[in-house]
Amino acid sequence: MEVSWVILRVLSVFVALFSDRLVVLARFSQSMDSDFTFTLPPGRRECFYQTMKKDASLEIEYQVLDGAGLDVDFSISSPSGQVLYSDYRKSDGVHTIETEDGDYMLCFDNTFSSVSEKLIFFELILDNMDTDEDPDDWKEYVHGTDILDMKLEDIMDAINNVKARLGKSVQIQTVLRAFEARDRNLQESNFDRVNFWSVINLIVMMLVSGVQVYLVRSLFDDKRKIRT
Amino acid sequence: MLSVSAALLLTLAWVHQAQTLYFHIGETEKKCFIEEIPDETMVIGKYRTQLWDKQSGSFLPSTPGLGMHVEIKDPDTKIILSRQYGSDGRFTFTSHTPGEHQICLHSNSTKMALFAGGKLRVHLDIQVGEHTNNYPEIAAKDKLTELQLRVRQLLDQVEQIQKEQNYQRYREERFRMTSESTNQRVLWWSIAQTLILIVTGIWQMKHLKSFFEAKKLV
Repeated sequence: MEVSWVILRVLSVFVALFSDRLVVLARFSQSMDSDFTFTLPPGRRECFYQTMKKDASLEIEYQVLDGAGLDVDFSISSPSGQVLYSDYRKSDGVHTIETEDGDYMLCFDNTFSSVSEKLIFFELILDNMDTDEDPDDWKEYVHGTDILDMKLEDIMDAINNVKARLGKSVQIQTVLRAFEARDRNLQESNFDRVNFWSVINLIVMMLVSGVQVYLVRSLFDDKRKIRT
Repeated sequence: MLSVSAALLLTLAWVHQAQTLYFHIGETEKKCFIEEIPDETMVIGKYRTQLWDKQSGSFLPSTPGLGMHVEIKDPDTKIILSRQYGSDGRFTFTSHTPGEHQICLHSNSTKMALFAGGKLRVHLDIQVGEHTNNYPEIAAKDKLTELQLRVRQLLDQVEQIQKEQNYQRYREERFRMTSESTNQRVLWWSIAQTLILIVTGIWQMKHLKSFFEAKKLV
C-alpha cells in the first residue's frame, strides 16, 4: 500500500519533470521570424516560397539596401497563383496576409535594371502557425504543488509577456538595422561619387583650358598674313 | 513514455522543418545571403534539398550524391568556411569580427543528368545569436525548471539585443564619419574648383594677351 503510493509519487514527479521538457519544446514554435539579405543581379528575378497553414498570418517586410536607384519590383502570389500584392519600383514595403494552406511565392524583380545589382533585405514574420496545439495541454501533466501552481502561473504570464515584448524589440531592431545599412550604403556611394567626379571635373577643366589656348594659338600659327 | 516523447519530438522537428522558406536553384547557380552580425555571435544554417522528379511531377528528397557546397566569407572577404555537405546539411560558424558575413550556396553536381528538367528546391533556415541556443539541451545539462529556463531565455535574448545595439553604435559612428568626410570634401572640392577656374581664366587671358601682343595684333 505504502510502496505503491511511493511509486505513484515518484512516477508523478517523473512525469512532471519530463513534461517540462515537452512543454518547453512545444512553446518554441509560436511566432517564427526569418530574415534574409541577398544580392539580386541586374536583369534577374528571384523568388522565395513559404509554406503556410490556414488562418495563420504572414507579414513580409522588405527594403532595398544598396544599388543605384534603390528600387525593386516586388510581388506576392497565393498558392493558387493569384497575385495578391504587386509593388512597382519601390524602395521598401510591408504587407500582411491572412493565409490559406499552401506555398506563397514572394518575388523580387530587377529586370528593369541592366547594370545595377541590388542588395535586398526581407523579413518574414509568421504568426499563429500552430493552430492545432492547445497551449493548456501541459497543465494535465503537472500534478501536486497546487498552491505553488497559482503563483507560478502568474510569474509565467509575466515572463511570457516580457518575452513577447523582447521579441518585438528584436524585430524593430532588425528593421532599424536595415534602414541604417541602407543609409550607410547610400552615403558610401555618395562619397565615392563625389571623389570620382571631382577628380574628373578637375582633369576636364585643365584639359579644356589647355585645348582652348592651343586652338586659339593655332589660329594664328599658319602662314596666312594677319592684317595689322 | 520515452517512445511517445520521442515521437512528439520528431513530429515537432518535422513540423518546424516544413515551415522554412525555400527557393529554387539552378545547376551552376550560386545563391548568396548576407548576415550582418556583431562579433562573437554564433550562426547555424540548416538546409534541406529536394530534386524535381519528372515522372511523379513533384519534388522528392534528392539523391545522396547531390550535395551543396557552402562558402562563408567574413567582412574582410576572407573565407572562413568552405565545405561540401550532403543533400541535407547543417553548418555553423562564429563571427570574430563584426560586420557583413556572406553565406554562399551552390550545388556540387557535375552530372547534367541529375538536374535534367530541372531545379533543385532548397529549404534554408539561418539562425543567429540566441536563436542558436538549444534550450532543451541547456535545460537538461543545467537541470533547470521551466521557470529557470524561461528566465535564462530572457537573459540570452536581452544579451543579444545589447550586443546588437553596441554594434549599431559602432556602425553609426563610422557612418557619421563617412558623412562628415563627404560633406567636407564637397566643400573643399567646390572651393578648389572655383579657385582653379579663376586662376585658369586669368592665366588664359594673360597668355593670350601676351601672345596677341607678340603677334602684333593688339
